[in-house]
Amino acid sequence: MVEHLSRRRIVKFMRNSALVGGFVVLALVGAACSSSNEPAPLEGLAAGIYDGECAADGGQSITIYSGRTESLIAPVLEAFTCSTGIKTAVRWADSAQLAQLLAEEGERSPADVYLSKSPGPVGFLEARGLLGEIDPTVLDLVTEDNRSKEARWVGFAGRKRVAVYNVDAVAEDELPDSVFDLTNEVWKGRVALPATNGSFLDWFTVFRDQYGTDVASDWLDDMVDNEAKYYANNRAIVEAAGRGEVDLGLVNHYYNYQEAAALGEDHRAQNHDLDDDDIGSLLIITVGSIVKSSENISESNEFLSYLLSEPVQRYFTDETFEYPLAAGVQPAPPLTPLTALEIGSVDFDALGGGFEETSRIIDESGIANQ
Amino acid sequence: MTSPTTRRASRTLVLASAVLALLFAFPAMYLVWRSFTTEADPFALLASRRTLEPLWRTLRLAFAVSVAASIMGSGLAWLTVRTDLRFGRFWRALLPIPLVFPTFIGAAAFIRTLNPGGLLNGLLDRVGWHDVPELRGFFGAWLVLTLFTYPYVFLPVAARLQRLPGSLEESARMLGDSSAQTFRRIVVPQIRSAIAAGTLLVFLYVISDFGAVQLMRYDTITRAIETNYLARPAVAFALSLVLLALAVVVVAAERQIGRGSIETPSARADRIVRYPLGRWGAPSLCIVAVVGALGVGAPLVSLGDWAADGLLRTARNGRPLALDRSQVTSAAWNTLESSVLAAFVAVAAVLPIAFLVARYRSRVGGISRGTVLATFALPGILIALSMRFFTLRAGLGADFLLDSKAVLIFAYVVRFGSLAMGITLVAVRAVPDRFHDVAATLGAHRFRRMRTVDLPLMAPSLFAALGLVLLSTMKELPISLILAPIGYHTLTTRIFGSFEDAFVAEAGIMAVVLVAMSAALSWLLVLRGADRR
Repeated sequence: MVEHLSRRRIVKFMRNSALVGGFVVLALVGAACSSSNEPAPLEGLAAGIYDGECAADGGQSITIYSGRTESLIAPVLEAFTCSTGIKTAVRWADSAQLAQLLAEEGERSPADVYLSKSPGPVGFLEARGLLGEIDPTVLDLVTEDNRSKEARWVGFAGRKRVAVYNVDAVAEDELPDSVFDLTNEVWKGRVALPATNGSFLDWFTVFRDQYGTDVASDWLDDMVDNEAKYYANNRAIVEAAGRGEVDLGLVNHYYNYQEAAALGEDHRAQNHDLDDDDIGSLLIITVGSIVKSSENISESNEFLSYLLSEPVQRYFTDETFEYPLAAGVQPAPPLTPLTALEIGSVDFDALGGGFEETSRIIDESGIANQ
Repeated sequence: MTSPTTRRASRTLVLASAVLALLFAFPAMYLVWRSFTTEADPFALLASRRTLEPLWRTLRLAFAVSVAASIMGSGLAWLTVRTDLRFGRFWRALLPIPLVFPTFIGAAAFIRTLNPGGLLNGLLDRVGWHDVPELRGFFGAWLVLTLFTYPYVFLPVAARLQRLPGSLEESARMLGDSSAQTFRRIVVPQIRSAIAAGTLLVFLYVISDFGAVQLMRYDTITRAIETNYLARPAVAFALSLVLLALAVVVVAAERQIGRGSIETPSARADRIVRYPLGRWGAPSLCIVAVVGALGVGAPLVSLGDWAADGLLRTARNGRPLALDRSQVTSAAWNTLESSVLAAFVAVAAVLPIAFLVARYRSRVGGISRGTVLATFALPGILIALSMRFFTLRAGLGADFLLDSKAVLIFAYVVRFGSLAMGITLVAVRAVPDRFHDVAATLGAHRFRRMRTVDLPLMAPSLFAALGLVLLSTMKELPISLILAPIGYHTLTTRIFGSFEDAFVAEAGIMAVVLVAMSAALSWLLVLRGADRR
């Protein structure tokens, strides 16, 4: 009986295994066949940044850890490689997780350049002494406001804090001028905050720096008392405002343009600029830095300066709806002109240290628990 | 009946288990080391209200989801395997699919479909339901996590029911038991360990989940861990240790409960009893359809809508998609390759431990099993960082291992080996001892016995184990981001990249591809693999 049963089983099991095993083989063959890309003339968005002949491959290469997503920055990298002959290898991930990875790797890190979506994670690495000095010629490409006093980071594009609102739920004359208006009774239960998101933490740290910790944490407590709603991130708030789940939210300007570009007329949310001198109009910059253990310092500097070159800055404002920071490039519509609060008046180098306290205040406000 | 005997295990088996357990313990060792070096103080944290409240919320949620998912998972398994439910095979391929939604986008899509102003609203409005409640907080997190985790119970229980001999049930019926009595007295004891194993996974998953609870705005201990990584690393490590301790307690408790459960040897599939549902047919079909519609349909509606918008947009010469076909196909290949490899390696890795635990009385076996299981409660990012930690300290091997596919697969196996553990154990226990003894008496060598006796009988459960690991690996995010060789994109990492910056059309297209792929694999493994007569 055993023999009889097992023989049938073997056949069946072998057949099934062959089926799935076939997949393994196919996968391996597929992996083996994916050959390296031949250098080709640039196309699409990258060609808009650099349309000259590609430089010969000089055998140089830099490794980039990028918290900026590939959809936005890949054309820039293509253009960079074509125009300089320096290859790039990129690990794409969340800015904060990459900062953790760099901290774990320490001196053994394979990374040369770190790009972060917001200054906070860079502050974290700076505080641990893991960032190298950037060349002064690169730093000088931006105003003092957008670079580190210690030469550890340089801003290359900006996202402005705005109020996103649902056009059916908020009348135009009702729109606030300042984040301090939002603690008012009329906004009870209507406002959303991405309270644990990286850019919000940075914003709140600057808020504390500008107004003092007491004012900032009182504001947050008042918002909680006013039944402000907590959301995981900017994108979730913009999406919820589009549906009418919340009336208004404090977010980065960028996401609503992207949602509107994707959804067109169906999207019922718009950006509203708070007063220019209000903390709610802060520009949050995306920053680049060089990892201290890097052995490709000059190539890394070349890359950072390329990010600040005129065609790339123009690409940022034209194609990714971000604020340019260098080369005299002006923000293109639909971006509103940038007269907002200058970051430079804020000690961003202190952000790393201020981060801990910010995180504690936000924890204690209880906003994340609803 | 097979219970651990007093036979001594071979030294090779014990050694193999010990080595495997050590490998699986990497993340825990890293965590302890880091907690020590960053002067984290888990005891002080445990005494603080700020920790206790989220911890309490985590526990409440984990219990509620475990109860719901175990009832749902085993009920659905029973309906689709052991009754004449219509379209049974279709449902069995469909029902495991919620496993494959990465929570960061799955939960977001779920919200976008069902919440006020969402895609379903027009429809509900027309049927006269105007005030749709907003899904959030405890209830929202409970609902979405139950829908995303019941497959952890469904798959092992369905696999077990597949091989449960009908003879006992027939005897019970002949001796006058009603259907309900038969179910309670005969079937439940047989599937109890499969339910317990699955429920344990649900519990461990829920305490480690971050994406769903955050999107539902329910503040658990993982949120505190996540937001403290950069701000206060010591706090994050200490809280993770608390999570690990909790997992160890739960795993130990489950082992106590699992003791003494009855395991009847597997039988041939063609002898299973199918019960006619009769007048319960229509309501049962309704229930299964509602679960399918909520768990698979609701997220898919939003993802499909995003994808369709994007495709229409390019058709009308609007803004082009930031995505080309070769990127999608190469990411799909990579996803398939890494998840298939991870699934096979994971099952192979837990098999020796399962044999040791099931067939012999061995302390090493128990500890190994516990290590594999408890690791499931650790956040993926910690596992990724621990792998990096050990890779960089591998001396001469560091250059070879850094950014290699081997480390990536290894990390997946450590992350998801737990999914294969319980179900493989159920499989091993279900192989009758006398089959071995007969085969041994006939002079069959150990490996031949394994091939001809054990593996075929364990097949349905092993395929279910493969399926669990496979579908989970396909959606894995933090490990893929941190450890994949540079330039090696999977569908999930691409979805993350697009979704993060609100390229929802691109994210939607790739998510639909991911679901289609998982549906094909689920059909292949769960149905063809386990079900062929």
